[in-house]
Amino acid sequence: MIVKRLLLFIPLVLVLLLLQSFFWVPTYENQAAGNPNRLVTYIEASSGDAKILNPILNADSASSGIVNQVFEGLLDLDENLDLRGRLATDWQIFERAYLVVNPYHRFPDGTEVTGARLFQKIHAAWKTGTDEGLKNYVQSLELLPAIQREETVSLLLPSKEGRPQLKDVRVTVDVLERVAFTLSQVDQDLFDRLKPILGEQYFEHFPYEEMIRPQEDLTKEIEQALREKFPEILPVGEHNPTIVLHLREGVTFQDGHEFDAGDVKFTYEAIMNPKNLSPRTPDFEPIKTVEIVDKYTVKIIYKRLYSPAINAWTMGILPEHLLNDVALTREKQERGLSEDAQESFGMRDSQFNRHPIGSGRFQFVEWQGDEFIHLERFDTYWEGPAQYQDYFMRIIPELFTQEVEFRTGAIDFYGAQPHQVDRYKNDSTYQWFSSLGFAYTYIGYNNRKPLFADADIRKALGMAINVDEIIQYLMYEEGERTTGPYPKNTEWYDPSIQPLPYDPQEAQVIFHDAGWHKNEDGWLEKDGKIFQFNLITNNGNPIRKNLMIIAQNAWKKIGVKVNTQVFEWAVFLGDFVNTGDFDAVVLGWSMGIDPDLYQIWHSSQAGPQQLNFMGYTSQRADELIVRIRQEYNRDRQRQLTHELHRLIHEDQPYTFLYAPLSTRVLDKKIVLVQAGADGKEEYKKIYPMKSGDHTFLFHQWRKLEFTPDF
Amino acid sequence: MWNFILRNIGQRLILLIIVSFVAHSFIHLAPGEPSEVDPMNPRMKPEDIAKIRAAFHLDDPLHVQYAYWIRDLASGELKSFKDSQPVLPKIWDRFLNSLPLFILATILVWTWAFPAGIYGAVFRGGVYDRGTVFLSYALISVPGFFLSYLAILWVVGWFGVPVISIKTFGLEHAEPAYKMMDRVWHLVIPSVMAAIGGIAVLSRYVRSQMLEVLSQDYVRTARAKGLDEDTVIYGHALGNALLPFVTMFGLLLPGLIGGSVIFEQIFAWPGLGRLAYEAILARDFPIIMTLNFIAAVLTLAGTLLSDILYAVVDPRIRLH
Amino acid sequence: MSVDSEAMAPPETPWQEFLRIFKKDYQALFGFWVLILLLVTAVAGKAFTEWWVLFDPEVVRLTDKFLPPFSVPSLDSLSVDRPFGGVYLMGTDELGRDVFARMFQGSFVSLSIGFVAVGISLGIGILLGGVAGFYGHVKLGFITIETLIMRFTDAMMCFPTFFLILTAVALLPPSIYTIMIIIGLFSWMGTARFVRAEFLSIREQDYVIAAKALGIPEVRIIFRHMVPNALAPVFVSATIGVASAILTESGLSFLGFGVPPPDATWGNILSDGKGFIFDAPWLFFIPGMAIFVVVLAFNLVGEGLREALNPKLRSR
Repeated sequence: MIVKRLLLFIPLVLVLLLLQSFFWVPTYENQAAGNPNRLVTYIEASSGDAKILNPILNADSASSGIVNQVFEGLLDLDENLDLRGRLATDWQIFERAYLVVNPYHRFPDGTEVTGARLFQKIHAAWKTGTDEGLKNYVQSLELLPAIQREETVSLLLPSKEGRPQLKDVRVTVDVLERVAFTLSQVDQDLFDRLKPILGEQYFEHFPYEEMIRPQEDLTKEIEQALREKFPEILPVGEHNPTIVLHLREGVTFQDGHEFDAGDVKFTYEAIMNPKNLSPRTPDFEPIKTVEIVDKYTVKIIYKRLYSPAINAWTMGILPEHLLNDVALTREKQERGLSEDAQESFGMRDSQFNRHPIGSGRFQFVEWQGDEFIHLERFDTYWEGPAQYQDYFMRIIPELFTQEVEFRTGAIDFYGAQPHQVDRYKNDSTYQWFSSLGFAYTYIGYNNRKPLFADADIRKALGMAINVDEIIQYLMYEEGERTTGPYPKNTEWYDPSIQPLPYDPQEAQVIFHDAGWHKNEDGWLEKDGKIFQFNLITNNGNPIRKNLMIIAQNAWKKIGVKVNTQVFEWAVFLGDFVNTGDFDAVVLGWSMGIDPDLYQIWHSSQAGPQQLNFMGYTSQRADELIVRIRQEYNRDRQRQLTHELHRLIHEDQPYTFLYAPLSTRVLDKKIVLVQAGADGKEEYKKIYPMKSGDHTFLFHQWRKLEFTPDF
Repeated sequence: MWNFILRNIGQRLILLIIVSFVAHSFIHLAPGEPSEVDPMNPRMKPEDIAKIRAAFHLDDPLHVQYAYWIRDLASGELKSFKDSQPVLPKIWDRFLNSLPLFILATILVWTWAFPAGIYGAVFRGGVYDRGTVFLSYALISVPGFFLSYLAILWVVGWFGVPVISIKTFGLEHAEPAYKMMDRVWHLVIPSVMAAIGGIAVLSRYVRSQMLEVLSQDYVRTARAKGLDEDTVIYGHALGNALLPFVTMFGLLLPGLIGGSVIFEQIFAWPGLGRLAYEAILARDFPIIMTLNFIAAVLTLAGTLLSDILYAVVDPRIRLH
Repeated sequence: MSVDSEAMAPPETPWQEFLRIFKKDYQALFGFWVLILLLVTAVAGKAFTEWWVLFDPEVVRLTDKFLPPFSVPSLDSLSVDRPFGGVYLMGTDELGRDVFARMFQGSFVSLSIGFVAVGISLGIGILLGGVAGFYGHVKLGFITIETLIMRFTDAMMCFPTFFLILTAVALLPPSIYTIMIIIGLFSWMGTARFVRAEFLSIREQDYVIAAKALGIPEVRIIFRHMVPNALAPVFVSATIGVASAILTESGLSFLGFGVPPPDATWGNILSDGKGFIFDAPWLFFIPGMAIFVVVLAFNLVGEGLREALNPKLRSR
């Protein structure tokens, strides 16, 4: 019967056909052995795909990994975490400051304030006064005539449904006569120094209403919102820190076009263009103007004191000629979009974001969504080409399969978990580096809740948790204790502050003193209520989930009842963190290099949708935070941050647990290749920099055919 | 006939609109925001978040958002929140990646389920039958990812051959034959994993259909005529037993979308299932909505196709 | 059994006939005993991990992490934290929790997910299928109720179910109840079809027609006479439904959308264990095998029931 035979035959033939393909596939060993290119190819695994390859638009870690290779910033951080020139060679920071005539104010001697008189008095104080700061920093003075300008102000109106709405208002601003200062360095106390001459009240009672006039009739609500913006629109005393950057000459983008000051200005404008919805806007918003002085010099003037602002220039610079209006117009016409789409077409829609061209060490080749991104070496990079020829990022979502691929040599790097790292440490084919990053993990208490209002209670909760044991067993020593809000490897962190001891007995005593007594079930009770709260965290992070369980267990032992819940990230943020409707969370922060803690710790940032969601309030901390972000002198900044660190440590709004080490496991065959004295290649073991970063010399990495003896 | 088809299409169109509107409302009302509205960026100000929300029309009433979505989908200019790329080409790319996996898994299911089921019915109660019953239930009782992990451990551990992703890395310069076979090899394990459940279920179904047909009078008559057993089974019974399965072709269509999120996730396969999964995680509404819409269209088209096929192959059914 | 003796034997009740066939099916019988054992385990698990805490699944002992099965606790661990019997029967997990206690507790949770989800899906399925089968010809405008319900059922049936469940679970706040309800809401379609088909044929049976002629109220006809007779296939699909609900839960756990802690289910023990497959393989294999055995038992019992209840196959 033919049918009968076919029924047997077809499946068998099919299976044989499929299985024979096995013999065509190279085994892992053959892949490495018969393929010299593999030695100059670097393959890393990422669990998620990149979203958008554009330095001003990306916000996820996979994209920024690629973007950092393709694009280059004006500056970057060197091995000691200091700024170093890349596309810029060097830079100077100085200040321009302005003081507006306050017409309703009288000087301490009773005379009316006019431009000429103001200038004269300040000039006298500068030349003959006793204030050292004024004498040393001020370089020149000038009296500017009154002008009138127009501008658009964006206001955020609270709406009844809870979502704030945006409203743009045109205003006319009368700027009276101003005294302009040029200072050799930024001085946040300049106007305080002038107060003895001007009178203490000079900066108050400024008649904003007369100077700032909206061009249309406004509702009460909008007027109120505008009123709150007055000091921003027309500051009485205005600091304009200024940076002049000298750019590197002769650098080209990967398409051969030369890099110049126009690209810097363009990048800034692209970020601030509201159409582009750049997540970098907040970093660049303090900028007033970017001026092109000449082809290789730009001058950046800031609206106000904000010392971390310069760090923003480590961001990659875009090529103007590929993304300006002309280029975008050409692209949208070529793509034949409808009129609506052409209307809204912006940089976000450009194909550039999937085929980026920058001036970094590697240039883009190919991107297969959710599969891989391929870069290759940019041979005419200004500092010389990298050792690796190809750079791949493979997207492998499961940690298990990442590990399988890593062990077989099909990838060179993946984000190994602490328990995996522990295994590789004992394996002689691998080398590993552990280094501190800018992150830390904490348990945060909602300081608004009466249960956590007392710093002693928060301290007692922290003392019940054995952090050293967590670091030893959960993290396999891949973490270090931390005591405050700054990254441990920056100078802002005060290493002299001692962490909370693990002392459950003492914790119980503190509870006892606060009136909490154990009831018959073993729970702490006060006024008929037991000490009970919800501890939540986000899903997808097994270590946080485990921390949550460990904390729950530790607290159970001292009589604190904790319910634990895990929520998906979007829900976690939307329903709990942003609304402030939670008791305690296990979370982590990834900080920047700068010491600015305004968003996370300032009491003004404790509203809904804001980042001080723990509701931490401390008047002294607020003062320190503001002073730190306005201070341009590193030594003074360090003193302030140490004070702030100690203050927060004493208040214990969080239980600071540990700073995780970022650990990289690599094949031992990957080494640093450097040119020796005799022109021959020299191999060195990869080593971490002082800052803990071992990828700093990535461009010198290469894989050898043999395992070197070091 | 045409009347029947037209009326069915009409009914389905109405259903489609209702389903898509309900899905749209559900997705937008569920907690969580698109990940581009990134409130954990320490520098993001409320003004910036309001701007992003406005650009995505997130503050408009639901029916207005639905209208925007329909308009953009119709003009083909719907953009993903995540990377502003047009949604349809993106889905098409992933569809092309998923297609071979789907086709191979389907072929495996159909070529294996029929012999397994038919022999089970022919040798009912025998060792073979009991063995296949047990085996097929055993296979659908293992959690899919558990089995896949074991398969990966085994193949990589014993044979040292790559199985992850759709092709071996660094084989760009190999001969075309090698490249093709490499791709085939990477298809084998995920498609077998995806097919296992289908084989087990379908073979049970085939078996019971076959049993039913074998107990019919005309089979008894054929046997009584003295025809040999093979002719009775493969000549007379099989054709009738298979009729209902023709209609199942239609029902395969929706399986194209999101059939194998777990397998694509484990085998790092850049297919539709993963696209959808990532979109859900990032609350990328345009992608979720469009995939959902396509799934609904395929579903409805599939049932329509199967109704028509049913009517065509089975003369007892009247279209009315 | 020879023809003669069958002819002479007293007429069997359907129940006796069912038992006779079911008992001959060793696979189903095996599954049946596994399920009995499982039920006992689940109840005992609930009792001994929550009411009288002999096995505490929540005690964290970091110093005892990753001990293989049958190890004894290290000396450092406090005496109050020692496991019952002084031995970790199934080893410990990454926090040093007793895997046996967790599996024990999880048996109840996993099973209750299966049962509640199936309960919900049966409720919806019987209701919709019954309405479609009994009131099928009533017209609503241009369309009959039957068409409406069955179109909807067909559409739901063809959607990739797991994907729908995933979307719903991912978008809604996670809790064990969400998962039970969502799984139930998306798996009633098979039941609805069976019930409708059964109702269509029962409706035409003599005893129903007689009951109608006697003027017995419809509700009474439906629940007293029709539902019990339509239950057999429903029972089969319920058994298999529990199996697939347990599998679905483990799939969701794998993608990170399973039952959130502190509830331990076999699914989330398994998916937590997958990260430690090289360090502590028992964390992966024990729950994996447990799920396999239980789901298999449900499936085999379901298959046995189907065989034993299907009159057509019996007649041969």
